[in-house]
This record gives sequence, structure tokens and C-alpha cells, in this order.
Amino acid sequence: MNRALLPYRPGPLAWGGIIAATCLVLFLFEKILWLVVPFVMALLIHYALSPLKYRLLLIGVPHKTAAAAVALGAFLLLGGLLFFSLPRLSVEVGSWPEMTARYLDGGIRLLTDSVRQLEKRSSLLAHAHVSRELALQIADLTNSFARKYLPGVAVTLAGWAPSLLLGPFIAFFMLRDGWRFKKFLGRSVPNAYFERTLYLLDQVDRTARIYFVGLLQLTVLDTLCLALGLWLLGMSSPLLLGLLTAVLAWVPFIGSVIGCIVVVLVAATDFPGNPGMAYGAVLLFLVVRLLDDFVFMPMTIGKSLKMHPLLTVLMIFVGGAVAGVPGLMLVLPVLGVAMVLGESIGMIVTDARLRARHAHARDLRERAACQGLV
Amino acid sequence: MFSGLSRRQLKIVDALLHDRHYLAGEVVFDLGEEGQALYILLAGRMAVLHPAQGERPVAELGAGDFFGEMALLDEMPRSAQVRALEDCHVAVLFRGDFEKLMESHAELASRIAMQLARYLGNRLRQMLAQRPPVAAQV
Repeated sequence: MNRALLPYRPGPLAWGGIIAATCLVLFLFEKILWLVVPFVMALLIHYALSPLKYRLLLIGVPHKTAAAAVALGAFLLLGGLLFFSLPRLSVEVGSWPEMTARYLDGGIRLLTDSVRQLEKRSSLLAHAHVSRELALQIADLTNSFARKYLPGVAVTLAGWAPSLLLGPFIAFFMLRDGWRFKKFLGRSVPNAYFERTLYLLDQVDRTARIYFVGLLQLTVLDTLCLALGLWLLGMSSPLLLGLLTAVLAWVPFIGSVIGCIVVVLVAATDFPGNPGMAYGAVLLFLVVRLLDDFVFMPMTIGKSLKMHPLLTVLMIFVGGAVAGVPGLMLVLPVLGVAMVLGESIGMIVTDARLRARHAHARDLRERAACQGLV
Repeated sequence: MFSGLSRRQLKIVDALLHDRHYLAGEVVFDLGEEGQALYILLAGRMAVLHPAQGERPVAELGAGDFFGEMALLDEMPRSAQVRALEDCHVAVLFRGDFEKLMESHAELASRIAMQLARYLGNRLRQMLAQRPPVAAQV
């Protein structure tokens, strides 16, 4: 009856399984990205809104009504924001291509000016006409880039728009019936494995919740820091730029680099002939990155994924190799959930007593079913 | 344990409870197992068994009794085995759900925790009353 109390530690085989499962899930996710993206969006909305639903439950509102009220409130808020910003947005959308070209020109000008400054100091660079060559190559690249890739990007975004509408829809049902789903899953588990399964479900939910809520908190902190810094530098639309770069940072490595380039482009265009502003923006970006990595990240997302930093970095590369940019974004939450699942399944599979109890219960049920039959 | 809760609060708790059915002879949990949930016996009888007493039950539980309550308070292993004496119907409150309840419905969770503390206090007093006085032992 007394059982050994040795804690279960996953071995190399279990770890191999966890990493293989993560890669397989990422590979499959990339194939059904049209469903994964709205699902992740739904999780974000669900975790952001569920505290409000709990508050309504506390004051006596039933589950269904509370979920409907919270969803309606969020929908009205979003609808209101869209309603008021749509006229301005529709005016601005028309000027987006022109604005993009202006900011790209600003960036190119900054780059060629910087190289020209270097040419003045280095005769080798001056003889090689580096700035002229650079300007020609960049112009060629931007023209061919726009021609080659932009139509594809536009078609992909248009194709995705309907599936993104699924996000709020799924989030509503998560809010309304999430607790029922948990009970439903619990009912399908045999008695012997019931407590462990509840624990497993709880851990998966907890990991995902801390990760996604942490991601939202991190985005808010990044946005505020960047916006404050950009405002102090005197740049236009600091809040919008801060938000854009904070959201871009959801993609590890690449996102931060793109965010930094965007800020530098804006600085170079808004302040032509003043490269100090662009360098200031880069410096600000580096400071916020450092704050992010060493202060904000451990405070928010770091709490959910207790994994070795080397494994984290390696898995980010693996995620990128297996599923590209979506792999980079999803590898950490998927790995976190795979770790919890792998450890829990390993714990259940290696527990001979639980298996014996399950066999005994099955035997009892069979005997009860056969009672009275000759 | 849920006495003193309003109808509204009971509804909230009900959404967290899981229904389980056990056949006579089925083990609910073992001694030494990590406890994750509190069980409320809705129908049937169960026996609490400890190896020190062999197959003689330490206690018998009937409808309305609850067991495994220490799992809500700490992560210590179960201190006895519980086995169904007849076909039983139980409601299960998982520790993770109770912790969430403490975060989202502090007042409700504190009422349950208070009932639990009263129950444990009573049990401690009963145990102390059953033990011979220290002077007599010496």
C-alpha cells in the first residue's frame, strides 16, 4: 500500500520525445496556420477577458450571461475604437504607399550619408565609390523586392482576413464553455488516472495562461518604455511606433531587428540631416532590449517557462528551421506545453501502481457487468 | 463544508466540482500518493485504511463526509488509503481550482478554508482527547 515517494524526472528518452513532439506540432501548425493563428488570438483574448468574467460570476451572473456580457463589452469597445478611428484610418491608408516610400528614402539617405562620411575619412572607400554603388544596389533591391514579394504578401494577408475573424468567435466559446470542456475531459479519464489528469490539465492551462498573459504584459511594458524614449527624442507618433515595435518583438530575433529598422527609418525621415536622432533611436532600442531580456522577460513570460537558456535559444532556431516565422513565434509556448505533457505522461506511464489500480477497476466493472449472466 | 455559502456561491463551487463513480472495492487513492483533490462523498460508504491497522478500517465514511482535505492545504503525500466499501458517488474539488477560487473569489474561498480549519481543529481535539495524558504515559 505504501508507495515509493521518488519524484519523477524525465530521462533522455522523455526529453527526446518532448523535443520531437514540439517539432512535429510546429510542422503541423505551419500546415494549418489559418486555424492556429485565430486559435492563438482566441487564447490571448480569453486570458485577457476571463478575469472580467470571474468578476461577473462573483456578483451572481450565470456563466453564459457573464461570457456574453464580457464578449459584448469587448466587441463594443473594439467597434467603438474602429468607428472613431476608421475615418482617419481610411484617409491615411491612401497615403501608405507614399509614406512607405518616403520612410525608405529617408533610411537609404541616412545609410548613404553615413557611408559618404566614412568615404571622406577613408581614401580607400572614396576610390571604390562605395556610397554610389550602395545607393544603386539598394534602389535595385527595393524595386525588385516590391515587385517580387509585395503582391504575394498582399494576397496572403487577404486570404487570412476571414480566418482571423474566427479568433473572437473561438474566444467567446472558450469564455462560455471552457469550464464545461474541462469537466468533459475529466469525465473521459479512468478513476485511477483522474487526479493526475486534472493536474496535467491545470498545468497546461497555467503554462499557457502565464505565457500569453506575460506576453501581453511584456508588450505593454515595451510599448510604454519605447514610447517614452521616442517622445523624449522628439519623434512623431511615439505611442504607435512603440506599439508596432513591441508587437514585432513577438517574433524572436527577427522581430526586434525589423522593429529597430522601422524606428531608424522614421528617425532618419523625420529628422533629415540629423543622423544623431537615428543613432539615438538605435541606442534607445538597445536599452529597451536589455531591459526586456533582463528585467521584463523574467518578470512576465520567464515565470511560465522554467527551461534552460541554452535549450530556449536552440529551440528557437529549431522552431525557425521547422516552421519559419510562425515556428519562431510559437516554439516557446509549444515547448512549454510539450514539457508539461511529456513529464505528466511519463509520470503516469512509469507508475506501476496506477496501472494496477486501473486494471483492478476495469476488472471490477467487467465483473459487475457480468453479474447475473449464466 | 459548504454550509454557510449562499446559493450564488454554491453555483460557483458546483461549476468546479467533478462527478466520479467508484465500484465497491475500488481504490480512490493510496497512502503516499501526492494529493491533488478533496473528495466529498455524495452516496455510498468508504473505508480509510492504514497499513498499521491491516484491513481493519481506521474510519468509515458515509454520505456527506469528505476526505483528502489536506490536499487543498499542502502538497504532502496522502496519509492513508481510501477504498470504496460499496458503489459510491463522489464530487471532487481539485486543488488547482481551489487556488484559482482563492484568486478570483477570495471571500468564497476563505469561507471554505474556514470550514476546513474548523473541521481539522475538531479532529485534532478528538485525537488529543483519545490519547492518554502525558503524565500517565510517563
